[in-house]
Amino acid sequence: MLIGIDVGGTYTDGVLFHGNSIIAAEKRPTDENDLKNTLLQVLDELLKAAGKAEIKRIVLSTTLVTNILATGKGERTALILLPGRSLPYSEYKICPETYFLKGSIDFRGKETESLDKAQLAQIINDIQLSGVKKLAIASKFCNRNAEHEIAVKKAVQEKCPEISVSISSEISSKLNFPRRAVSTYFTAMTIDKWNEFADEIEEAIKARGLQTEIHILKADGGTMPLQISRKRPCETVFSGPAASTMGGLALDQNEKNSVVVDIGGTTSDISLIISGQPLYASRGARIEDKFTHVNAFALRSIALGGDSLIWHDEDIIQIGPQRQGVAACFGGEHATVTDVFNYHLNLGIGNSEMSTASIEKLAGKAGMDSADLTANIVDMAVERLTRTIRDMFREWENEPAYKVWEVINKRKFHLDRIIGIGAAAKSIIPMVAERMQVDCLIHEYSPVANALGASVVRPTLAVDLHIDTQNNYYTVDPGGLKEELRKAGDWQLEDARQLARTHLDKVCRERGMEEYAAESSFYMEEQFNVIRGWSRSGKIFDLGLQVSPGFIKEYKGVEI
Amino acid sequence: MKPTGILFFPAFDWAISPTHPEREERLLYTRDQIFEEGIMDFPQIREYQPGLATAKDIARVHFCVPDIDTHITEAHLVSAGSALLMADAVMQGEVRNGFAIIRPPGHHAMTVTHGNRGFCNINNEAIMIEYLRKKYGVKRIAIIDTDVHHGDGTQEIYYNDPDVLFVSFHQDGRTLYPGSGFMDELGGPLAYGTTINIPLAPKTTDTGINYAIDNLILPMLEEFKPELIINSAGQDNHYSDPLANMAFSAKGYADLNKKLKPDIAVLEGGYSVETALPYINMALIMAMANIDYSNLREPDYVPSRFKESKRNLDYIKDMVEKQLNVFRKREEIIAENRQKAGDFHSYHRSIFYDTEYLHEDQRNELRMCPQCSGFRVINSSCQHHNGRLYKVSCISVPANACSQCQEQARRVYRDMSSYNHYDFVYLQDRLGDEYRSFDLQKDLEKVL
Repeated sequence: MLIGIDVGGTYTDGVLFHGNSIIAAEKRPTDENDLKNTLLQVLDELLKAAGKAEIKRIVLSTTLVTNILATGKGERTALILLPGRSLPYSEYKICPETYFLKGSIDFRGKETESLDKAQLAQIINDIQLSGVKKLAIASKFCNRNAEHEIAVKKAVQEKCPEISVSISSEISSKLNFPRRAVSTYFTAMTIDKWNEFADEIEEAIKARGLQTEIHILKADGGTMPLQISRKRPCETVFSGPAASTMGGLALDQNEKNSVVVDIGGTTSDISLIISGQPLYASRGARIEDKFTHVNAFALRSIALGGDSLIWHDEDIIQIGPQRQGVAACFGGEHATVTDVFNYHLNLGIGNSEMSTASIEKLAGKAGMDSADLTANIVDMAVERLTRTIRDMFREWENEPAYKVWEVINKRKFHLDRIIGIGAAAKSIIPMVAERMQVDCLIHEYSPVANALGASVVRPTLAVDLHIDTQNNYYTVDPGGLKEELRKAGDWQLEDARQLARTHLDKVCRERGMEEYAAESSFYMEEQFNVIRGWSRSGKIFDLGLQVSPGFIKEYKGVEI
Repeated sequence: MKPTGILFFPAFDWAISPTHPEREERLLYTRDQIFEEGIMDFPQIREYQPGLATAKDIARVHFCVPDIDTHITEAHLVSAGSALLMADAVMQGEVRNGFAIIRPPGHHAMTVTHGNRGFCNINNEAIMIEYLRKKYGVKRIAIIDTDVHHGDGTQEIYYNDPDVLFVSFHQDGRTLYPGSGFMDELGGPLAYGTTINIPLAPKTTDTGINYAIDNLILPMLEEFKPELIINSAGQDNHYSDPLANMAFSAKGYADLNKKLKPDIAVLEGGYSVETALPYINMALIMAMANIDYSNLREPDYVPSRFKESKRNLDYIKDMVEKQLNVFRKREEIIAENRQKAGDFHSYHRSIFYDTEYLHEDQRNELRMCPQCSGFRVINSSCQHHNGRLYKVSCISVPANACSQCQEQARRVYRDMSSYNHYDFVYLQDRLGDEYRSFDLQKDLEKVL
């Protein structure tokens, strides 16, 4: 049996899944001050339902890291940057305790300015005096040569063994120094708290006598073993919305172009599925207004949920963004979006009379006709969702392209279907679909699709490989390794692919996901001849190989 | 403040030939550098997706012999289309200025195109200018060609247009391709003084170029009052460029752009792909986006390495003075030219296509119109590689033409079409935005 639990901002959802059906589902409000406790309460309910059956895997998605970063409760962390001679240092507004160090590497991995040892000694001294215990280090082009980062880390650890150090080459090898620095800084800031949480979860599982794999859901919609997450806590951000997107896909696996709309209590999260594959944010996840290298789905959140309060200011009727408890039909005090749809479309949700009463009260105060008022609100809500969805298409269509064929074969988004997720989806989504003239899918399990998604998604992994045959080296991520090329002579694309596959296989073995290695595919393949004078002196390859988001092999769909 | 638009189109799948300077690798390290800097994430920058130019956009500038499809690959359409897209973003006020980092380049492509010259098939800047004129009614434009090679294509296209100020500084044509761009190339009789060349001696440094900017180019821009300033932004004045011999630095390029304040910059040449381009492109982006670039420099740059000689500076000072005088007297001279002119001004040209080894012969007839800058007839012949000798007649009506010139040009087109001396006759009517080509052998007319 499989368990998926999504600890969301308002609710925590869990499902127990077996074969092709949901055996049990559990939903309860999230205690923001004790995520672990909420999670374990849900887990215990699911275990009860499982009885003596074996639990093969538990997948958790949690807002822990997102919350730490959003509330500024991360640990005090210093940052050493080696930006080289380019942008002014004042452009790096990442961390209040930033130290700039001289030393630079170029795009070929060549050192163009050596490390300033005296300056480094001074910085280490200052950091020690400041009392900070966490440090992040990022150098430009460490993805081509991490020597500087490693040397700085070593120097810090020799002098101050009490400081824990994260270096950016271990976090990502993608181009974009500021994003790498931010990702490393956030990692250093949350790593201890995440590990505390991981320890507690492991203990709790052990205390329940379970022999099961524990996985953490990532922002890219795949899982990673809890053990791996210990070094990469930032990859757990936005895993909630990723759970919903994958849940939407799980409800109806096919190759269509869909949009998944998860209507929660206060917000709606919207993501795109293109030919059956979720769309990634091209710039990486944006955390606290900063771009990072965390691979996440392209997601738009708007302040419109089932519990969004309906209110009026003079004669203008407004939706949200605040929430004051649940909808009137569920015992709340005020009319919400759910009440409006309930009344307007006669949906019979909860105690419908309470919806009617709350609407009439509001209409009376605003001096409006109830039917007019609800028609108005319905139109506003549907329009807001429709506009956001269309904006997302446009944004995707307008992504930059760097090759001729990409421009010639310019893509156009043709929407097939809207998948509604979350408790309020049933009332709102059909109208959005009608306005956009597409099909919609509201599944029986829409309210717990996020947890379902978590329970059945497979692990994901992306390997980025850069080969420079002129300089006889390659670098590869994850790991941030730089190695000499063993094969001399002429490199062909197929040789480069083979090297990427070898590395992917190795990481798959480490992560216990060998069975998915064969399903990897190249998402980037670039090769360049390096010409000096009028003849070729080498080749450069940039390859990306990934096990993309999908479902575990035993998942064949869900039956009601 | 509005952001700066950047359109980065490195054409990673296009090359003239595998080892040619104009190859896939050209913007690879620039890509690495600007993406690693993360500058596209900055609020001061807005990144744009490439666009596609249409056949009509090209016909507004070029007579492609025998037709557009023969010379133009998809890469050219994307490169030119990207310049148009950047221009739209600027004109529609989405950005304060824009830099199209695109290839293939274009500034050696002339009005008549028999093939590739100086790595260029079609002229991206000219296509952009005629598009701007058509779409937004822009009239007066200044192009500052900062490539190390003389922008002979752009010069030829606007040689008779008094509303386009074309200024090119470059390494002296006696020492470098294309062997033109001398001080006496000053524009046609009705557009005298709006073509200004600044040939510089090899090894000229930041100091020398900046002297010409401060004392010649900026004063001319102030007096000319263009609605738009375009930087035809070559990057091969750099000290490390393998195809030229100048001593300009990345910081020099940044200073230049800070002073010029171009509305739109379009990448042209520059073949020091690893030691110059990544840094110059960053420098340009930073200068255009108003980001402090004092920390930027190439890894091997030593400020004391290049010193301008007094002799060279004196030469530049003298040239600046002469050219500024010509520029200031231009209206007087044009008036004189009109007085003494006959109906037509004719001249002969011989054009060499270095990339393809083609020789073209041209006879140009410019109508000395009292109202406008006159229509032009170019009779051109050139033997192509398929062995065929193409004889064509090209009639061009400028955007600022008077209706009389337009009518007369149309008549010439009709007459020529029945005169079987030519293989093709073309009419480029910018005023009416109509482009015709007539294939005499097939008796077939096409209209765009």
